Amino acid sequence: MTNRNACRLAAALFLASLVSAWGGPGAARAASCCGSGSNTTLLVPKYATALADLSFDAESYHGFWNEKGRHTPDPAGADLNQYRLNLAAAYRFLPDWQFSLAVPYVWNDNRYSGLSSHTSGLGDTTVSVWYDLTDDQSPWRITSWRDLTPAVSLGVSLLLPTGYSPYDNVNSSFDVTGRGFYRLDGNLLVEKVIKHWDLTLSASYGSYFERWVNREYGKLVEPYRKELGDRTSLSASLGYGFPLGSGGDLLTATASYAYLAESEVSFDGRADPGSAFRKQSVAGMLSFSGADRDWSLRAGWRHDLRGSGWGRNFPSTDVLTVGVRYVFG
Amino acid sequence: MSLVRCAAIVLLVALLSGCGDNLTPSGSDLRPALQPGSTGPAVGQSAPPFAVSDSSGATVTLTTALAGRKGIVLYCTMWCSSCEEQTAQLQSMAASFPEVGFYLVDYVSGTVTEAATAAVANGVTGAAVVTLADTEHALLNAFQGTMGTTVLVDAAGVVRMNEDFRDGARLRAMLGAPSQP
Repeated sequence: MTNRNACRLAAALFLASLVSAWGGPGAARAASCCGSGSNTTLLVPKYATALADLSFDAESYHGFWNEKGRHTPDPAGADLNQYRLNLAAAYRFLPDWQFSLAVPYVWNDNRYSGLSSHTSGLGDTTVSVWYDLTDDQSPWRITSWRDLTPAVSLGVSLLLPTGYSPYDNVNSSFDVTGRGFYRLDGNLLVEKVIKHWDLTLSASYGSYFERWVNREYGKLVEPYRKELGDRTSLSASLGYGFPLGSGGDLLTATASYAYLAESEVSFDGRADPGSAFRKQSVAGMLSFSGADRDWSLRAGWRHDLRGSGWGRNFPSTDVLTVGVRYVFG
Repeated sequence: MSLVRCAAIVLLVALLSGCGDNLTPSGSDLRPALQPGSTGPAVGQSAPPFAVSDSSGATVTLTTALAGRKGIVLYCTMWCSSCEEQTAQLQSMAASFPEVGFYLVDYVSGTVTEAATAAVANGVTGAAVVTLADTEHALLNAFQGTMGTTVLVDAAGVVRMNEDFRDGARLRAMLGAPSQP
């Protein structure tokens, strides 16, 4: 194990120890607050203790950006799709600390004019710990600088390679449901609610752990070491809540922009200059929550900006999402 | 312990116990010893014979591909982003190694015409790199190929390399090695 990997593993173990040490049954419950959380983040609202979330993604592929950023369509007759059922839960074990787990189950459904493939399997699992650095009091009227304080949350996530990767005993690239690498992410979420408006900014930076590879798509090969490039993701979203009637039901519409990039893959410590990728996307989502704010439903669409220059070395997709969430008070 | 936390731990343990290959990757060399003189896709075996159409409709066999050459490179493409980047590297290599035949194995197009159209759309033109329309998946199955699989066969018809393209460095080194094609 390299020093870099040892350092990252130590950090992950330290976080795990934090969870076990501070997640005792006597943990105090959070005080009531107004933060409802954005439409898309898996965070327990300040007033609640836990949440359970079930969502379904239908992702369709529409060409790719090449290494120079030129967008190219898929071959004629191609119909490439991936479906994911995501099970997730989050638990607030201290007033300012929470833990979450997200597990996807993946169906790959790919058809070309000369080949078709339908496979499925568990995807990669994400385990996260979040700390609420500051709370948003969500005032209805701004009367002081303090009222402008946003909710700031810091998180660390560990991606576990529980899916089928290219390094498993699979037959082809169509069988893959995970990437096969551990990744440790540092996450920052800033959210501010003023009246009906909700502005959310998020950023995360992740580093993959280098690993041994001795098999590629089921074929045994001479062992070598591989590491995926560091991952950066940024997003900004703006939501507006429309009260429905006088009973307290709320319909929230959110528009967002996201940027995702990964740097170069390396083989035995040697970087592959053609492997870095990036892409930009926009999304819209509608969510409905009743007056009690325990159940909520959502539906959204994410669209990669397909023009040349909006991405590089990566497929462009559209994702339709529907989800249901229950928040435990 | 709350029900939620208990369920999370049980789920995590179940996941960790069911996914050993990626959770604990091995650097052991598991490649089996080969039967001398056998035919197959593995390094050191005689390459399986094949006959497929190229994108112009002409039949290419192992024998005709190797005729008068030091070897051939077969690269499996599904016309994806990494395929295009790696194809560009192959085109560059083809210019540096004119005595080696370079072939793209299109295993996703259903007809020769579609393979030809996909090749042009992805910038594969000219004679340096030839697209093979593997509509029956003969090459794909013979060499256990998938996206990015790169096979090097020497003049004697022996498989010298059969693995993912990765960054192309290994293929470049093998093409340039004095004892190789």
